[in-house]
Amino acid sequence: MIFTVLIPLLLACFVPFISKFKHKIHTGTVIFFIPLAIFFYFIQFIGSGFEPIRHTYSWIPSLGINFDFYLDGLSLLFVLLISGIGALVVLYSVYYLDRSEPLGHFYVYLLMFMSAMLGVVLSDNVFVLYTFWELTSISSFLLIGYWHFKEKSRYGALKSMIITIFGGLSMFGGFALLSVISGTTSIQTMIANADVILDNPYMPLALGFILLGAFTKSAQFPFHIWLPDAMEAPTPVSAYLHSATMVKAGLYLVARFSMIFGSYEWFFIIVSIAGIVTLCWASYMAVHQTDLKAILAFSTISQLGMIMAMLGFGTKAAVFAAVFHILNHATFKGSLFMVAGTVDHETGTRDIRKLGGLLTFMPITATLALFGTFSMAGIPLPFLNGFYSKELFFESTLDLEGGASGIAGFLIDVIPYLAVFGSIFTFVYALYFLFGTFGGKTQLDKLVKKPHEAPIGMLVSPGILVLGVILIGLFPSAVNGTFIAHAAEAVYGEPITKDVHFWHGWDSPAFQMSLVVVGLGALLVTTRRKWNGIYQVFPGKLSVNKVYDTIMGKLNAYSRTITTFYMSGSLRNYMAIILSTILVVTVGFMLATDGFTIDFGNLAPITFIELTVVLIIIASAIGTIFAKKNLAVILIVGVAGYGVSLLFLIYRAPDLALTQLVVETVSVALFLLCFYHLPDLKRLHAPLSTRTTNLIISVGFGALMTLVGISAHSSSWFETISDYFIETSKPIGGGSNIVNVILVDMRGLDTLFEITVLGIAALAIYTLIKFKTDKGGK
Amino acid sequence: MSNLAVLPIIIPLIAGIILAFFPKKLALVRTLTKVFIIGNLAVAGFSAWHVFNHGSIILETGDWAAPYGIIIVADQLSVLLVLTTNIMAAACAFYAPYSLPDRKERYYFYTFFFFLITGVSGAFLTGDIFNLFVFFEVLLMASYALIVLGGDKVQLRESVKYVFINLFSSMLFVTAVGFLYGTVGTVNMAQIAQRVQEVDQQGILTAIGILLFFVFAVKAALFPLYYWMPKSYAVPNPVISALFGALLTKVGIYSIIRVFSLIFIHRIDLTHEVFIWIAGLSMIFGVIGALSTNNIKLIIAYNIIPAIGFILWGIGVFNQEAVSGAIYYLIHDMIIKASLFLLVGTIAYAAGTSDLRKFSGLIHYYPFLGWLLFVSGFVLAGIPPFSGFIGKLLLLKGSLADEKVAVVIIALLSSLLILYSIMKIFIRGFWGEKDDTFEPKPVKGRTAPVVALLALSVFLGIGAEFIYPSVESISRYLLDPANYINAVLEG
Repeated sequence: MIFTVLIPLLLACFVPFISKFKHKIHTGTVIFFIPLAIFFYFIQFIGSGFEPIRHTYSWIPSLGINFDFYLDGLSLLFVLLISGIGALVVLYSVYYLDRSEPLGHFYVYLLMFMSAMLGVVLSDNVFVLYTFWELTSISSFLLIGYWHFKEKSRYGALKSMIITIFGGLSMFGGFALLSVISGTTSIQTMIANADVILDNPYMPLALGFILLGAFTKSAQFPFHIWLPDAMEAPTPVSAYLHSATMVKAGLYLVARFSMIFGSYEWFFIIVSIAGIVTLCWASYMAVHQTDLKAILAFSTISQLGMIMAMLGFGTKAAVFAAVFHILNHATFKGSLFMVAGTVDHETGTRDIRKLGGLLTFMPITATLALFGTFSMAGIPLPFLNGFYSKELFFESTLDLEGGASGIAGFLIDVIPYLAVFGSIFTFVYALYFLFGTFGGKTQLDKLVKKPHEAPIGMLVSPGILVLGVILIGLFPSAVNGTFIAHAAEAVYGEPITKDVHFWHGWDSPAFQMSLVVVGLGALLVTTRRKWNGIYQVFPGKLSVNKVYDTIMGKLNAYSRTITTFYMSGSLRNYMAIILSTILVVTVGFMLATDGFTIDFGNLAPITFIELTVVLIIIASAIGTIFAKKNLAVILIVGVAGYGVSLLFLIYRAPDLALTQLVVETVSVALFLLCFYHLPDLKRLHAPLSTRTTNLIISVGFGALMTLVGISAHSSSWFETISDYFIETSKPIGGGSNIVNVILVDMRGLDTLFEITVLGIAALAIYTLIKFKTDKGGK
Repeated sequence: MSNLAVLPIIIPLIAGIILAFFPKKLALVRTLTKVFIIGNLAVAGFSAWHVFNHGSIILETGDWAAPYGIIIVADQLSVLLVLTTNIMAAACAFYAPYSLPDRKERYYFYTFFFFLITGVSGAFLTGDIFNLFVFFEVLLMASYALIVLGGDKVQLRESVKYVFINLFSSMLFVTAVGFLYGTVGTVNMAQIAQRVQEVDQQGILTAIGILLFFVFAVKAALFPLYYWMPKSYAVPNPVISALFGALLTKVGIYSIIRVFSLIFIHRIDLTHEVFIWIAGLSMIFGVIGALSTNNIKLIIAYNIIPAIGFILWGIGVFNQEAVSGAIYYLIHDMIIKASLFLLVGTIAYAAGTSDLRKFSGLIHYYPFLGWLLFVSGFVLAGIPPFSGFIGKLLLLKGSLADEKVAVVIIALLSSLLILYSIMKIFIRGFWGEKDDTFEPKPVKGRTAPVVALLALSVFLGIGAEFIYPSVESISRYLLDPANYINAVLEG
């Protein structure tokens, strides 16, 4: 099975080579056989005797990340959709994409997506699933940006990436949490241990993380906004990724995990609300669109919402209907996208305001559209699969049973009404799409090209899909008996058998709801122009898109404001922040750990001369602050330095004192030389508040260091290693000057590298000076 | 065999000295540089192999027994980092001739380069805290030399801040080591660890530990101490930025890992808890910085900060998985940051500017550069199956197992924004219409090292099974300080 998943990805490597010959043979013609072969490989599994199959291949076993492929009914439904629609879309693209386009890129991305999507639905390992999940987002990003010279493509690509990868990362967090809770990375094992997960206090968080991933991918309100902008992709991509397959990955995820979370009441509440709100909102908004593909995009969103809602209901009837509708939606929506692409291809526009009356020019396309839209609208005709699933949807909204909490109870009461509301608008936009394009008067003057029927090749793929619509409509039990039943079983946990009939009698509540939909829908279609103004009132200026744009805009603007605020470029500010951070945190730690220890017991008596020297050092250190001239500062610093060497002398370290003396003398001399060339010190004209803060910080920091020093001195718990040096200096080191032995022998490595430091410094200074003066070379 | 431990320090030192004798003979210098760095890489590889198979190598320099003399400790963590250092140093050595003007190369670039490697390797290998200070000085002095090489005005302006803040932290370092010596009477890290444990890290010791943490945090560019970093890293030549970005901050975070897994581990309820907060803030502010600019070099430089945050996060959580994650992320970040600095340097060279507002549609001329950047973005953001993902997964699981949820959310969000900050370059700089007046420059020599590093990075993700067991063994080793202490004091 790993082979079928990875084969598109592997073959993608050869596409750049194949595409070199695109003028002889359209690259798509070759590619077409890949999904077709996969389709025929998987079709063998359909049948009543189907049992889930598992294949495992090691990848990173130490982290529990393996290619655990698990093919059950749900996966089978998806792999057939992915490969089947994939083949049709590739076939369609052969006629849709001109050979002058960069075909190589297109098919590389498409094959990448195919592998990724197959991987998502076949992986039992959560982290492998996540890997493929992100790969679908990446390939979708590249496909939306296929015509990247268009500003809108770039915008749409970025938007889809930000939103779906945001969801993906969240889902990843959820997966990590689940794997920590359950101790496994396999979804099936998690399902088997669902009670462990449900009992864990972090379960709601994991659920929230995962749902965020599902909702963003499946374009649920308010994350749906990326999907309309994704329509910038070439139409075959919209038909494939953004309608039939990728956007259903979120549904797949919810379906997969409903075996774990299904019994948790908030799962029902959140998923149902998200689904039903999306259904209503998007179907309402679809009527307001003028671009054919935008209508279809909103339609897709709303249909996804409907399926999501059914997955949320989680009842037998609902799960069955959801799975059934995944298939049905793929057939009619896929064909409608192709119809929209054909219309665009043959007329040069997708603006419904410019279209109309195309029936006479494009009769076959119009017929295909008729079946597609009628099925989508759920018109009660016995050869439309959309009607069956719509009917099942209504049924499932009616048999919800009471939840414990008030919210769930309230939801159960209102869901049927919302379902009808959403379906009415579904009916309206479906007919609006059909009649707006093919009915009414022609406006040839507004079209770029003179319309004519599409070449036969472009009609084959949508034709096959429409055939699917009709066949499923006529013989629903052909798919429902085994295929859909197995898929539903994988979601629900028990076998679901359901007979789907066209006729339930006049008293069937679901049928009455359908009649309401058709009746009110027809009324609204005919009067559309009269009530169209309602969109100015609601949503009016409200728009989730605006929220996204604002966030992205502010993200850039605020990050700039924040960063320029603290990255002021002033060394003094930087030091103030660094010092005060160290001060506050260290004092905090000293208080928390009882760090102050002050013990004067272990001190030698202070002599008069020591006191004098120290006072001189202190006085000169303070003096530097008040000195007004460079020269004065250098000399005063020198005094402090000489004071220190005096201290060394008092403590009987004449060699150190001598060294310090030399260092001080040389550095004072050097400073004098350098500062001679520098401008004089300027008085700092900072406001008093800044100066006070700086004073507090510097005094505080000095006090801190003193306190830590005293405390460290008062906490000498151990013998120091210096005793060893004193003992061994002569016998092992062979020298009676301990300092010398330490420097050149015991810690000779330190000395070696300190000398290196000096060497580097010397070379660096030489370079700095010489580089400026050396005019040779380039 | 124990001399093997010190070779990765001594070889670059000698190489640097030799190259200083004939800086004007560029052809020879370049060839020798490659020979030396590959030789050193081989040695580092061999010592890594040796350590992972036969245990740590302890060298008592000058034959002065531990804890009295300076001890070089080549343990699993050190050798892995030394190996990674040399890999990316080799990439830089191959990139440098294309990117640096000949004149800068003649002015001892390669000498400073080798001294920098000396200092970095020394810092990774030493087992003596004062000696660590000395190696810090070596690498800092070499970095000062590199950062001012050429002496442009903007370079000097940024370097003053860099030098000043690092001088301050060096001063604080030596003071803190003095305090530490005052309390525990030793500078041998194993013995410090032992003695701190004996007195249960009481009284002033935690505060001294925190001072050391701040010293390292300044070098590691953690929140809120990183002000000096972004601009001073973005200004020099790409090859120097790559060395700095991949190495210098990592020495800081390495020191934090070492000191806070070996020595100060008895109040983790306080210290390591604070680390998690600092890690989270570093992620947030680093990413905000990366989004704030249109300078592509600066975008990469800012991205160092959240990466360091990720690593510190692992130390903060301090369990097996989190520490493994931190180490995996550290290795990953050294490679990908070097690769990105070199790549962005190449892009800026190709586009003629590093201002993102001034170029677009580069993909028509440099498709390969574009796709390299594209993949790098996903590697950096930790999208599977690339290397960042493995580290992040471990960090996430370790953190969640300890019920530290807030930082997980911050980390995931900042991953998204890291990706956005790189994709911004791809979308705005590479996508777009073709500019027919544009004259492309050759970039082949510059892309080869980038490809090599990126390939390694991809391998670290896809081939994690080959790497992860070693990382896991390191984290198990680190979590039980007795391993280190016994190896040094009783070995």
